[in-house]
Amino acid sequence: MAAARQRFRRWFHERLPRSDTLVLTQRNVYILPTRAGWMLAVTLLVLLVGSINYQLNLGYLLTFLLAGSAVVGMHIGHGNLRGLTLHLSPPAPVHAGQPAPLDIRLSSERRRDRHGIGLGVLADGGSAHTHLGWADVPAQGSSTVQVAWTAPRRGLHDLPALTALTLFPLGTFRVWTVWRPAAQLLVYPAPEIHPPPLPPGQAQPGPAGSSARVHSPGEFDGVRAYRRGDTQKTVVWKKAAQAFAAGRHELVSRDAQSTQRQQLWLDFEQTGAHGVEARLSRLTAWVLLADRLGLDYGLRLPGRELSPDQGVAHKTRCLEALATC
Amino acid sequence: MLTVNALRHDSWAARLPRDARDTLFLLAVIGWIAFMQIPHVPAWCSALAAGVLGWRTAITLRGQPLPGWPWRLGLLLLTLAATWFSHRTLLGRDAGVTLIVVLLALKTLELRARRDAFVVFFLGFFTLLTHFFFSQSLLTAAGILIALLGLLTALVNAHMPVGRPPLAQAARTAAGMAALGAPIMLVLFLLFPRMAPLWGLPGDANTGRSGLSNRMQVGQIAQLVLDDAIAMRIRFEGEPPPQSQLYFRGPVLSDFNGVEWRPLRSGFPASMALPANLSVSGEAVRYEVTLEPHQRRWLLTLDASPLAPEALGLNARMTPDLQWLAEAPVNQLLRYRAQSHTAFRHGPLDNNLALQDELTLPPGYNPRTLALAVELRRQYGAGPQAAPALVAAVLDRLRTGGYQYTLEPGVFGQHTADEFWFDRRTGFCEHIASSFVILLRAMDIPARIVTGYQGGELNGVDGYWTVRQRDAHAWAEVWLAGQGWVRVDPTSAVAPGRTGSLERLNAPGGVFTGAIGAINPNLAAQLRATWEAINNRWNQWVLNYTQGQQLNLLKNLGFTSPSWNDLITVLLGVVVLVSVAGAGWQLWERQQHDPWLRLLERARQRLQRQGLAVGAADTPRQLAARVSQHFGDTAISRSVTQWLLRLEAVRYARQSPDTLATLRREWQHMRWPRDTPP
Repeated sequence: MAAARQRFRRWFHERLPRSDTLVLTQRNVYILPTRAGWMLAVTLLVLLVGSINYQLNLGYLLTFLLAGSAVVGMHIGHGNLRGLTLHLSPPAPVHAGQPAPLDIRLSSERRRDRHGIGLGVLADGGSAHTHLGWADVPAQGSSTVQVAWTAPRRGLHDLPALTALTLFPLGTFRVWTVWRPAAQLLVYPAPEIHPPPLPPGQAQPGPAGSSARVHSPGEFDGVRAYRRGDTQKTVVWKKAAQAFAAGRHELVSRDAQSTQRQQLWLDFEQTGAHGVEARLSRLTAWVLLADRLGLDYGLRLPGRELSPDQGVAHKTRCLEALATC
Repeated sequence: MLTVNALRHDSWAARLPRDARDTLFLLAVIGWIAFMQIPHVPAWCSALAAGVLGWRTAITLRGQPLPGWPWRLGLLLLTLAATWFSHRTLLGRDAGVTLIVVLLALKTLELRARRDAFVVFFLGFFTLLTHFFFSQSLLTAAGILIALLGLLTALVNAHMPVGRPPLAQAARTAAGMAALGAPIMLVLFLLFPRMAPLWGLPGDANTGRSGLSNRMQVGQIAQLVLDDAIAMRIRFEGEPPPQSQLYFRGPVLSDFNGVEWRPLRSGFPASMALPANLSVSGEAVRYEVTLEPHQRRWLLTLDASPLAPEALGLNARMTPDLQWLAEAPVNQLLRYRAQSHTAFRHGPLDNNLALQDELTLPPGYNPRTLALAVELRRQYGAGPQAAPALVAAVLDRLRTGGYQYTLEPGVFGQHTADEFWFDRRTGFCEHIASSFVILLRAMDIPARIVTGYQGGELNGVDGYWTVRQRDAHAWAEVWLAGQGWVRVDPTSAVAPGRTGSLERLNAPGGVFTGAIGAINPNLAAQLRATWEAINNRWNQWVLNYTQGQQLNLLKNLGFTSPSWNDLITVLLGVVVLVSVAGAGWQLWERQQHDPWLRLLERARQRLQRQGLAVGAADTPRQLAARVSQHFGDTAISRSVTQWLLRLEAVRYARQSPDTLATLRREWQHMRWPRDTPP
């Protein structure tokens, strides 16, 4: 039974067109009584039977007024959602395991406020909305709700079906819609938490190269990550100030012995980790580290190579490559 | 001063966290519901409910945790025990009301989850219904409406999860819902088929309302005399009979055991019982009675009514002593039509063995009255032919013997008639009628007591004749050979003012009435008449809306022989009609679409007629590009493209000087080239 229901739900969701903007109309707003709604129905029945048995004309009035209010409440609830426009801004990429914030703008042309509209990710299994973001939409205005969604793994993912629902005004009817946004979410691999130092650089073919000095890992461009024991003199304060300003707390030391220009290659085959995901995870951590240190770095993945460079665009390219590898 | 207080109050309420504010509001609504039940539940119940609500308020204000389950269980057990102690049962109507009031208060101690809140709401709705067991007056209805709106407001507020919306906003939504729900209520109220109770009422449903009794003990009618409650309302067709003729017949009491008068339980077989033998003469008085429920089978009619009172579904029968009885106790407002003749004769004309029942007196009571009877008979003679003279002599004695009418005669001893005739010489109708009948019986004249209502007053506002419980009265019927039963009202001999004039003994009014009465007695009377006229409308239109009225409504709608099925047909018809109208409106609205899109569509069609190749999804800007491409850089082309760009601005710009209305007007006046250039 539950399986059939789930299959029906999936089939039903599959046939909804994907779109980043959804206008809620009679056709895509659904309504069903909640458990409280059934409770109200039972209460009304009890009131009616009481009125009949005790022949209370005022009892009839009370019962019917309550019933009438509930019917009006049903329409108000439906109208609360109907006519609303939902718009999803394209989500920024995140690392695997991190919740992706989905910014949804609700805008309303109606002359009355809309109250208590909840947005959330429609769980695959059923209608259990674990986390709903609630918002009121002012008359002829808009408001924004952020919904978090954690992608199961790295890669380019279709966004899950979202739902907007309201219980306003009496909580006796659940009015909801199902929305499949067209936007996709790019999920980078999760960076390894304690990655080993960056691999040693490779001598750059071409000029220079006076000595064949062995470089310790992590030394490029004459700087390396701060190590315990480095004297204050060796710290590159200029870079440190930049890092602090950006909110990071990393120090970079000057490598006095480094004179030769080296090239850093982050290679899928030479990470020292086992398994594809572990390697990607380490490479991701290294890309982030190298970017923070302001180094030139290149990335070698199976079937793909990104030549050394630096900057945000390069980092993004590398992370994308890692995500979709 | 007032403003300062208001400001302070405002800021105090505004400083509360939202949760606390919402809880306090719900507590206030529940407090109001419990408050209205105070007159109908035991004192401990109100006190316990107030205590629990007060405690819950303190918890909310101090932000303390809710009490644990031992507290709740303990209070619940205490409630059950106290209910048992008060009502000797946990079932039945009154015990149920007591329990539900306390349970509603106790449930507020357990407001944790959403479900708890809903239980409070639904319990609250049900408690509202229980108020109607005791009163269905206009005031009760107003109080219940306030409570219902309060509960709806709290419910709406609970579903506004964002921020701290003012309660007034929720209240507006709730009131709007109720206002829009009112037509639905009206249709259902008018058309929902009224039916008989689905099962028997619990036993105590019929207690607790005062009325005439079919027993008479000294002092009982004294309570009724002071009761201003309305017993019935009468609308006479034509002139009402004179006040002194307005005797509304209730139970007839013939059995006296020395202490109490009761209806006759004759030792004679039924075939020998006294016949009613009613013959009427003169013009009939036609009238309509709206009888307040009194939980008895009596249908009060003006003395004497030869034809059964008429109402739909009412089967009345007459007892041999002229009283009309319904088949079942009157437990809801009942309206019936009746006709009476104030000139009538009834009872056997010749002596009848069954008259012995109307002569018996218990031995060992009232020895001095018996002696008086012997004395009077010696004076005026014995036998049936002397009876009129004897009756006249007794009435004369009442008139001239220093007897007085009072509402506070004090407590009588064993020999009530003796005390009345010889010692106290004061009393009200009961004492007088009882002593009168005892004396007549002692003189071998058949006599009995008739109870009912006498008099009443005209409400000048709506023309209804109002009979109150304080108009309850007891008089006597004396059997005279050749005349049958003759009504004799000994009270009128003692106090002529008690019958026949509008002067009556008023119950002390409340503070408010007293204050107004002190300033302007006429105003007080006027206010009271108006209020009662409003109440009467309420009774006639709302409380007395029964199956009969329902079927009458259908008759007016054109059904020749309306039935239940027709009611359901009409109800379903209304539902279908409303649904179709709603669906039609939806369709219309969908076609209307967005006004901006409609204007764009009109522009597109106009351009198409001009010979432009426009796409169905072209934006205004794309259309403008096509226009300038098509027409070239002419004045007309410029005006059209500018109009299109302004149309775009109306929709998308942050601020636009134009409105859709001005653009629509301009579009209508747009000039177009006659010939399209190649």
